[in-house]
Amino acid sequence: MRDKLRKWREDNSRNSEQIVDVGEELINEHSSKLGDDIWIIYEQVMIAALDCSRDDLAHTCLQELRRQFPDSHRVKRLTGMRLEALERKTQQPKNPPAARKRKISILKALGKSAEAIRELNEYLEQFVGDQEAWHELSELYINEHDYGKAAFCLEELMMTNPHNHLYCEQYAEVKYTQGGLENLELSRKYFAQALRLNNRNMRALFGFYMSASHIAASPKVSAKVKKDNMKYAAWAATQINKAYRLAGRGTKENKCSVKAVEEMLESMQITMS
Amino acid sequence: MGEVELSCRAYVKMYLHACLFPRVSINGLLLSSSPAGGAVYVTDCVPLLHSHLSLAPVTQLALTQVDVWCSQTQQRIVGYYQANACASDSSPTPCATRIADKIAEQFENAVLLMLDGSKMSPDYRVPPIVMYERKDSRWILKDKHTIMLRQWEETRDIAGQMLESGDHALLVDFDSHLDDITRDWTNQKLNAKIAELASPANGSI
Repeated sequence: MRDKLRKWREDNSRNSEQIVDVGEELINEHSSKLGDDIWIIYEQVMIAALDCSRDDLAHTCLQELRRQFPDSHRVKRLTGMRLEALERKTQQPKNPPAARKRKISILKALGKSAEAIRELNEYLEQFVGDQEAWHELSELYINEHDYGKAAFCLEELMMTNPHNHLYCEQYAEVKYTQGGLENLELSRKYFAQALRLNNRNMRALFGFYMSASHIAASPKVSAKVKKDNMKYAAWAATQINKAYRLAGRGTKENKCSVKAVEEMLESMQITMS
Repeated sequence: MGEVELSCRAYVKMYLHACLFPRVSINGLLLSSSPAGGAVYVTDCVPLLHSHLSLAPVTQLALTQVDVWCSQTQQRIVGYYQANACASDSSPTPCATRIADKIAEQFENAVLLMLDGSKMSPDYRVPPIVMYERKDSRWILKDKHTIMLRQWEETRDIAGQMLESGDHALLVDFDSHLDDITRDWTNQKLNAKIAELASPANGSI
């Protein structure tokens, strides 16, 4: 059981119900055998307990930790988490980065996106290398429909993580959403880049197909551009059909989706020509 | 505008979708296999997204594919549902009204349904649903009395039972389908399970 908890810690899994089940039993029945491990287990179980609204368990774990580590910043942070779960805003100690990020999460959970965005921007001025923060900011901007700023955040992420196909694909989606011929062409290029980095990324494949199709169907493009994009779209359609046929083999389950995709591709081809 | 009725299957799948992704906004489409005219009877739903609801490509793709599937199966898209990440906020976002507008272009009596997270406690007595209808190009709150859920208590119990037994993990939304295209966004397996649980009660759910 200890090993399970350790694995979940290392994997950073958020399977809180399981952690609570295993952890509670371990704490109640076997605490004497855990030695120093017990403290990190208290922490892990406490966080999972909050996730499952098990405040009784969270409180117990926190008490033990506070007794053992009375002045610890880390324990103070856990206290903050619990208060957040009980819907009370906490008093911030001096602002180490983790505490600032917690404050931003609280703002986000309270629906105060504008404030969360402002705090996150301030945070990033100091901690410009924090990938998680940049991604969080891009998500906030997307929710607020501020696609230009979302694109900027994703550009930062692509620069520092050029091999990450997900950032390319998300950037392409943002550009596609912004619309207009220039953005569509950019989106097609970034969907293509995402595919080069991971040729199994279905979102990128569909995105590539749709952006190429839209460009080909636009009355504003030259005959050459139209022809090129129809070629791209045709290639993508073949890949999509291949992927779905492969997926459909042996399982009756997704026959519906296979048929739907086939028909969709056919009908889109008709509108293009 | 007339009555709107929700089938057990549609409600349970929406509920399970919201429970499967409790920390983010989710959305989906409402379908009907009944003939047009008169009351709108929502017989099924297709869960769509649990990330980046306001980005266009996947939404467009999903709408097109569901449309195609509907014409293959004699159904039509009659509405849209959404549950916001912030449980206390059940008002439609710009993204919700935009998609609902698009649906209304094809189906005049389109319905926009928001799940009310604050009412989704284990012993809720009324459906945690807020419905909007389109009047003069705006979406306004619909009079509660014209929303029907036949055999509400049985439906609620089925939803609760499936959540308890972890069946919500079987639900596949379009997002999950794109992560693994062998998974079926029409959720035939889940539909069968719901039908099984519903059958002792009354055939016409």
